[in-house]
Amino acid sequence: MSIEKRLQEKAVELLSEKKVDVVVGYEAGTLPYQAAPCFIENPDDEGRLVLNPFCSVNLAKYVHDILMAHKASQKRMKPEQRTKKVVGVVARGCTTRSLVIHLQERQYERDQIFIIGVPCRGYVSKKKLAAAAGGKEITACAIINDRLSFTTPDGTKEIPLESVLAESCLSCRYNNPVISDVMVGDPAPPMKPDSEYADVDAFEAMSGEERWNYFAEEMKKCIRCYACRNTCPSCYCKVCFVEQSQPRWVGVSVDESDTQAFQIMRLFHMAGRCVDCGSCVDVCPMGVDLRKFLKKLDKDGYNLFAHRAGEKMEQQPPLSVHSMDDKDEFIYEP
Amino acid sequence: MADNKAQENWQPKIVAFVCNWCTYAGADLAGISRIQYPPNVRLVRLPCSGRVNPFYVVKALQEGADGVLVSGCHPGECHYITGNLSARRKFAMLKSFLSYLGIEPDRTIFTWVSASEGEKFAHVIRGVTEKIKALGPAKKLVKSYE
Ligand code: SF4
Ligand code: SF4
Repeated sequence: MSIEKRLQEKAVELLSEKKVDVVVGYEAGTLPYQAAPCFIENPDDEGRLVLNPFCSVNLAKYVHDILMAHKASQKRMKPEQRTKKVVGVVARGCTTRSLVIHLQERQYERDQIFIIGVPCRGYVSKKKLAAAAGGKEITACAIINDRLSFTTPDGTKEIPLESVLAESCLSCRYNNPVISDVMVGDPAPPMKPDSEYADVDAFEAMSGEERWNYFAEEMKKCIRCYACRNTCPSCYCKVCFVEQSQPRWVGVSVDESDTQAFQIMRLFHMAGRCVDCGSCVDVCPMGVDLRKFLKKLDKDGYNLFAHRAGEKMEQQPPLSVHSMDDKDEFIYEP
Repeated sequence: MADNKAQENWQPKIVAFVCNWCTYAGADLAGISRIQYPPNVRLVRLPCSGRVNPFYVVKALQEGADGVLVSGCHPGECHYITGNLSARRKFAMLKSFLSYLGIEPDRTIFTWVSASEGEKFAHVIRGVTEKIKALGPAKKLVKSYE
């Protein structure tokens, strides 16, 4: 039985036994190389669920959204009328790590989520696929084992699937769930985590001027649409600093420094909290190289505090804890 | 600010975020002991170094500071027990991150000065001012109001 079929059966079982109120998963998107998030409340809708390498977005974001909306809706209820909502979620490695971060940050209780763990062998980067198709419109797309074939007005072409997988996936360390209530499918073989910081190492080897020029050039592309923030499971503040007006943290002028300051702060908020799911990179309409900067925070978090975001429930986020013996080489004249 | 930078005899502007209980008192001690130190530093007093939002540092740089100093009580001596320890973690990552982006490491400096260290306060300000003078006016991340 295919993993998709098993997933659908699991969803029916959970919904009909009322173990969950909704299952958050993926359904086929409107384009042949796309999958969209979907919310199944009725067991008869299970057929919509899909699971394939086009499922890109990190679903933890939606789990948080649903539970927060529910919490808000309960506020004005009499205590005896309050209900509990349980969200089932189809979760691969990065999604489960985001859920761990939510739990560590006390966003909701463990029994409010039901994690349907699935293995992951990487998702297709839409930008890489578009480049492979030379920017032509893709009218059909299919994956057979580790090959991907797509059809454009120029004809059909077959390429290795790996050549269009997202960067985050190629060096992913956690492509199997770190926590789950039930697993569907067999564990996926490991990716290549040893090369996860290759990009950061190469960037560090450049001069300060070169690095700043690269950063400034990348940020010139940014149109401040905030799609990266909207999709990020770790960006869940009720009022984001970019929209606060008292004080107004970041300006919205055309001056380049405003966008740079916005990006520095959004990136820095991810210190110890970015799971490298690549969702922000995937949704960015301008192709800003966010990962180069996010991965540095991840590397520092590991080197300084032996911490990897969302890896273990017991390990608190690095900036939530401290110790007398923390490294302090950076302190001037201690 | 722009005029200042155009001038031959440019003087750096340094913003120092200091905690109320140690470094600010240390600066006070330097003052009442009449210890001389360069007038380039502007002190901003906060309850604790742990109160310093990393964004203050970024914002100061954006608004034209040539350097930013953050200083609090020595580890183990925080008025709020561990505020400076969480500050230390935050700023270990912040300094490394800003340097990674290409902002000169000497533009952001972190240190500890206790209430009894008037001489150390003056010494730190001298050292920091020298470092920033050596770098010259900040050009990265600076907002232009022209
Ligand atoms: S910053 Fe990007 S890669 Fe990191 S958790 Fe958020 S969406 Fe995922
Ligand atoms: S998604 Fe891309 S363009 Fe939009 S705000 Fe984020 S980095 Fe900028």
